[in-house]
Amino acid sequence: MLLRVIFIIGGIRNMEIINTENLNKIYMRYEKEEGLKGSIKSLFNRKKIAKSAIENLSLTIEEGEFVGLIGPNGAGKTTLMKMLTGIIAPTSGHVSVLGYVPGELKNAYKKQFSIVMGQKSQLFQDISAADTFLLLKEIYNIPEAEYRKSLAYFIALFDLSDYLHVPVRTLSLGERMKMELVAALLHNPKILFLDEPTIGLDAVAQKQIRGFLKEVNQKRGTTILLTSHYMEDIKSLCERCIVINHGKKIYDGSLEDLFDRYQTCKTITVSFDEPVSYHTDYSIDMVEVNPYKISFMADRKDVRSIVQDIMHTYEVNDISIEEEDIGSVVERIYTDKGGDFH
Amino acid sequence: MFKTQLVYRFDVITGVVFSIFKILLACILWSAVFEKKEVVSGFTFHTMLTYYLITGFISQLDQSAAIGWQVSSDIRNGRFSKYMIRPIGIFRYFASQSAGSTAFLLIFNVFAAGIWIFLFKIEFTMSSDIKCILAACVLIVLGLLFMVQLHYFIGILAFKFLDVTALMMMKENIVQFLTGALIPLALLPLAWVQAMTYFPFYYISYLPTMLLLGRNSDECISGIMILVLWNIAFGIINAVTYQHLKSIYDGVGI
Repeated sequence: MLLRVIFIIGGIRNMEIINTENLNKIYMRYEKEEGLKGSIKSLFNRKKIAKSAIENLSLTIEEGEFVGLIGPNGAGKTTLMKMLTGIIAPTSGHVSVLGYVPGELKNAYKKQFSIVMGQKSQLFQDISAADTFLLLKEIYNIPEAEYRKSLAYFIALFDLSDYLHVPVRTLSLGERMKMELVAALLHNPKILFLDEPTIGLDAVAQKQIRGFLKEVNQKRGTTILLTSHYMEDIKSLCERCIVINHGKKIYDGSLEDLFDRYQTCKTITVSFDEPVSYHTDYSIDMVEVNPYKISFMADRKDVRSIVQDIMHTYEVNDISIEEEDIGSVVERIYTDKGGDFH
Repeated sequence: MFKTQLVYRFDVITGVVFSIFKILLACILWSAVFEKKEVVSGFTFHTMLTYYLITGFISQLDQSAAIGWQVSSDIRNGRFSKYMIRPIGIFRYFASQSAGSTAFLLIFNVFAAGIWIFLFKIEFTMSSDIKCILAACVLIVLGLLFMVQLHYFIGILAFKFLDVTALMMMKENIVQFLTGALIPLALLPLAWVQAMTYFPFYYISYLPTMLLLGRNSDECISGIMILVLWNIAFGIINAVTYQHLKSIYDGVGI
């Protein structure tokens, strides 16, 4: 209700549906020495260690956004997801999603979001996906007509009819993931949290899932927060991305700006009609060289001049300029020690 | 859960076949005892076999131990998160799961019991007193509910202790004895039996069985009241424990 009022007063401003302020999460762990002696010793005296997973993290996400959450392993992405869904409680700080405090785990809140974890199935392994969907229909009180309509829509979208009635444990990873997504979306949640939904999938299945998610975001207006190590997922789906490293937010903005800032190189590939011996005064990193073809990485600002030089000096058969591989860009972001690129 | 049980046909068939062993062992043991005596603590050979048949039947209906193992394992491995994010009462979810298993076993165990009565030519000596039969049914339902609450409680202790295997095993041994599943409690000293009447286990399978045999009918009302009180107490304990311990859950592995 409060959010609705803010929306009306704000007029042109979109509704903020996720808000965190100075969020912190510290995990307590026990350290044990190796071996039998260590095991016996730890029965009486255990060393407690505190590990900070999230540090002073503040962010807001508006309704309908498709936000990518990226960071290396152990950066705190999943911890953040778990706090936003109420699975774990923050050590300190404020978190509000759809006007609810997630940690209170109110059913009214739980009916409005879904989470899909690529590495943890939420389906029942021994029964068919169709039976799981029926159970979810009852859990979320989905009206019969709406349920039938949604199911038909997803079956057609993913072409699921052939394996809807076989036990879930017999499905391939790709088929199972599609079922997980359908199970997550049947009740038409306002927010969808996706933790590595394409992990382990082949290129075709990844592409299908990306298309599916794009459609859900655009046609149903579902707000999506996605973590993925596959940069293609982020690049093709998210306009905005948040980069986390060591529990801290190091970037929050448009994906385009992120690449402008960190994509410092381009790859130039030139093939020649005659054999040539290429050399230049510009600083380049040669990737491939033979008398008829060269491929190298050059600084973005020098690309225009380098290309002009080549065109004037050599008989060029073909030339291509490619953006730097997204993986390299992200690697540079993670290793950036600045941390002041908000 | 009922559907899950039906998936594995081999499991269904072997479950029915293996229920023979307890009856077979009881037959061998008590036929030796009753060779010299006609009656032991008010039991004839056939009422003793009927006792075993009924307690075995009730014990098998109680599938709640699976809840303790599943809840603790799910908490330890981080899989418990999937229940926390669904708009369901987590206890009610597990209770329904257990009820599904029980409903399945009720059907197949009645069928199996019929076969064993016929095969062992047991003179099934059950009471015809409707009041006793009804009270026994109510006690069985309340007893099953209590066992679900007890196992759920042990399961959620994994939030704090992570591994509750020792606790589960200890409980299993104690409950087997206290419910009278090992030997009829009537064979124990009177003072022991008196003390046990304050605890719920006495009413879970022993009293319903005795009522179905037409004995202990004066304990109907007190038995139902004590089980209701234990259920209420454990309902409160579970709610408070869950609220208190869920905040230390880390949801590891996701």
